Amino acid sequence: MRAAPASVPCPHEDPGLQPERTALAWGRTMMTLCTAAAVYLRWLPTHGVFVLCLLAVALCLAGGIYATQRRRYRRAATGIAGERLTPDAVAVGLTAGACVVLGALGLVTILVF
Amino acid sequence: MTRPEDPAARRRRGTVSERLLRGGTEPDPRFTLANERTFLAWIRTSLAFLAGGIAVEAFTGDVFDLVVRKLLAVVLLLLGMLLSAGSAVRWLNVERSMRHGAPLPLPLIAPLVAVGGAIASGVLVAVVLTR
Repeated sequence: MRAAPASVPCPHEDPGLQPERTALAWGRTMMTLCTAAAVYLRWLPTHGVFVLCLLAVALCLAGGIYATQRRRYRRAATGIAGERLTPDAVAVGLTAGACVVLGALGLVTILVF
Repeated sequence: MTRPEDPAARRRRGTVSERLLRGGTEPDPRFTLANERTFLAWIRTSLAFLAGGIAVEAFTGDVFDLVVRKLLAVVLLLLGMLLSAGSAVRWLNVERSMRHGAPLPLPLIAPLVAVGGAIASGVLVAVVLTR
């Protein structure tokens, strides 16, 4: 996320910087996904091209997080400013679902390929 | 910091959130964001288990035999999957409790990590000692 120029006022007045911390937490998760994807590459010589499915799931989720970071920050900042924020059930569901799929694909790789 | 929900606000909420989170009042946005960050911390823990399962399978070829390696990897991967699903369930339960001003549920995934980690370590210690 690009830092706002000094002339642009901060969209919220939360001294706890909750929108920033939440955006950073998503960023950390994104980087963990990239690390996991890099570890999956180690399987390529022994388990074959099926491993690329795992890589694709991890990188798609990481890319999805990256692409929605700005919108997510703006949404949280507006929610804090207006004292009303809808929980992002879709993002939570998609993230957890993709991780379950990653685990399942990993099991298939170990036990079948 | 909570306020009663008016119909206009309910229309603004997404349909998925609306279906999953009925009734109660919208909690303080700070609590909602904190719940999201806790969920993400659990997801990163589960990703560590998922990547760890793969690392055990890939890197310990000349330390453990095939059966032990596969067993450890399967345990770690299953644990990672349970944690991912459990973290989403916990996120939902906490969000529901906050809407109704109820006490927060006990984290079932915390003992899961502890017991799962203990089992994986136990298998490892047993293997190392009996080699």
